[in-house]
Order: sequence, then structure tokens, then C-alpha cells
Amino acid sequence: MLGDVLLITEKHQIAGQAILEYVLANRKEKMMIAISGESGSGKTELAHVVAKGLRKHGIMAKPLHIDNYYRIHPLQRTEWRKSHGIENVVGPGEYDWETLRRNIKEFKEGKPSTGPCVDLVTEQIDQLTTDYSGIDMLIIDGLYAIKTENVDVRVFIELTYHETKKAQAVRGKEPQNEYRMKVLETEHQQVQALKSSADIFIGMDYAFRLA
Amino acid sequence: MLNDKITVTPKHEQAADVIIDFMGEEIKPKFIIAIGGEVGSGKSTLAYALAMKFKKQGLRSKIVDLDDFYKVSPLERKQWRRDNGIESVGSDEYDWGKIIHVINDFYEDNTSVMPCVDLITNYVDEIKTSFKGVDLMIINGLYATKIEKADLRVFIELTYDETKEAQVFGGKEEITAFRKQILEREHQMVQALKAGCDLFFDFDANLDKYHL
Repeated sequence: MLGDVLLITEKHQIAGQAILEYVLANRKEKMMIAISGESGSGKTELAHVVAKGLRKHGIMAKPLHIDNYYRIHPLQRTEWRKSHGIENVVGPGEYDWETLRRNIKEFKEGKPSTGPCVDLVTEQIDQLTTDYSGIDMLIIDGLYAIKTENVDVRVFIELTYHETKKAQAVRGKEPQNEYRMKVLETEHQQVQALKSSADIFIGMDYAFRLA
Repeated sequence: MLNDKITVTPKHEQAADVIIDFMGEEIKPKFIIAIGGEVGSGKSTLAYALAMKFKKQGLRSKIVDLDDFYKVSPLERKQWRRDNGIESVGSDEYDWGKIIHVINDFYEDNTSVMPCVDLITNYVDEIKTSFKGVDLMIINGLYATKIEKADLRVFIELTYDETKEAQVFGGKEEITAFRKQILEREHQMVQALKAGCDLFFDFDANLDKYHL
């Protein structure tokens, strides 16, 4: 994403360090780490911190943000969801998994790969080309990231939207309204359903624990 | 730039308001704002704050970071500069031909391909973007105000002295004698561009990111 504002705090640094140590201990070639959690739970921040930490160990990790892969354009999404019924469409089906799978495959093969990249300032979908030949690890973050096939480490952030409403308001990403609350509740149910597949939990207090 | 850390403060918001006031009601189509100034002075943060204000007015702006247009990639730059000497540091390090090409694409509503540095990996990715419907381009970088096509030139100050630099860069990277030379040279070259600018700010910024 271009123009995303990250609020990295000490809790992200601490949890990120714990994840980093786990990754280093279980290191493998072309490793894939996925971070799931609800909106505003700090997925992108955590991915950023872990990637930076890996860099210090000489490991090139690329964050891959699944929100870039929405099938419906950001400017049309609200209307689309309303017309199809929020409870019917909000969920993993909103994402273009096929393109994501292709990008992952190209990462595994060490090839150049082109995928969507949302510019939050222009609200356009740009196309980003990355040469994966020098990239050692992929850190995928997104609501349903741990659903992705062939992930080596699955991280689940337990914070729910009830606790992060404040964070949302601070970030000013989207106005708080009834529509947004309904979306958050639907996402909440969908995300929580994935919890059992996680290898690592980041608790309500952001503490690290193994599954 | 990918994975750039941005912290907007009220000072940046106020500066963005000043710029918008200065521009007045009528903004010419395909307007270019250049934000130049010292290393770590808050150029990209101001660009972001400004773009978000335009967005609220229904105007689309694309932010272009000149640091994406270095001819030598971030991973090779340090060595390249050492090999070529301090005189190699300056605006000639940028690929101005490519920058002008992107500006023309913006004017003509074209789809454009430009380099995009990922600040985590320090690799240069490529971004393809459509300029159709994009109203403004906000270009930030040390020497951004050199761009002839710029309609408005903003300069950001940062009082350069060793004490501040030690604080700013403290612990992040060892400040070598050569790095000091680079900063001093860039400072001289950036100051030389000040005269042609329309607006001036000083955020007394703390640098959050640091890259060569």
C-alpha cells in the first residue's frame, strides 16, 4: 500500500521481537509468515516490525498486504457491499486469491512478480512489480491471511474490533457509522473462525504465546 | 516509496493549510507542487498532509518521492559514492530524464511506470500508475524545487549542525567522516535552491527514517 500510516508502538516492537525469534529458530528457505487479526489490531505494524528485524539478521523479508487484493475497487466497495448485503459478501470471498497465489508462486520461484498496490491517497489501484530473486521471506498480513495455503508460521492477533474502535478513530481511515460497524461485526465472525489454525497468538495485551 | 514511516504533526497540518491558502481558489489543472529542503526536514510528511487535504476537497494528488529516482540503487549507493568521491554527491545522482518523463505522463493522463524503493528491503520495485483523473502532483525531494515545471515551490528548513545530527542519527548508523561530508555538501546544494522558492517552513523535525 502507498500512503498507509503506521502507528508503531512499543507493544508492536516487543511482540515483533518474539515473533522474530520464533522465525529465526524455525528458519527455512522462502519462508512464509502470515498475520491475521481484525481491522485495527496492528497486523501491518507487526509485519513491518518483523520485516525490519529480519533485515538486521541479513534476511530480506517483503511485507505483502492482502488489502491490496480486494476485487472491488475501494471507491465502489461500500456501495457494492450494501447492494449485495453486508452479511452475504463481507469475508474472504472479497479478495482476489488467484492473483495472490500467483504472486506467492513467483516469490517461491524467485521471479519478478506484478500485483495490485492501492494508493490510499489517490484511491487508485497501482500495479507493483517486485523482483523476488533476492527476497528470502514473505510476510503476508490481512484479515484472513492465515487462510493462505503453504504458510509456515501463522500469527493470530486476538484483539477484536471492540477493543480497537479507538485505534480506528485515531487512524481516521474510515468514518465510524452503522455500515462500518456492521462490516466490522461480520469480519469479526469470519476472522475469529480462523483462530484455531494459528501457530502463534498475540493476546489482548499483545503478549506472545505459542498455540 | 514503500514502507515509509510518516508521522503527521499539527505543524504539518498547519503548513498544508498555509499552502492551500496561498494557492487560492482557482487551482490550474495538472498542478505541480515541489517540496524541497534539507534531509529529514519533513518533506514527505508535508506532501502526505497536503495530499490528504486536497483529497477532502475532492482533488486527487499523486505523491512522487524523488528518492525513488536515484540512478544508483540504495544498496549500492554508499560504495558508489565512496568510489566516485564527494563531488559525485548532488542532483546529478538523480535520473532527471525519467522524472521529466513521469511529469509528461502526468500532463497527458498517461499510464506511467516509475521506480519505487521499498524501505524495508531497500530494493527498487516498479510501480505502474494511471495519471488519468489525477489533479495534482506533489513531488518531494532534496532538489525537487529544481523542477522547471513546478507551479509552486515549497522549501523546508532544518538548521544543520553537528549536535542535532548526532541526536537525529543517534544510534541508527555510525556517522562516518564521509557521511558528514555528504550531509554538509547536500546542505550547501539544497540551500542554493532556496532563493527560487515561494513558501518556507521549519518544522524542527526529528528524523524518523534514515537512508542514504
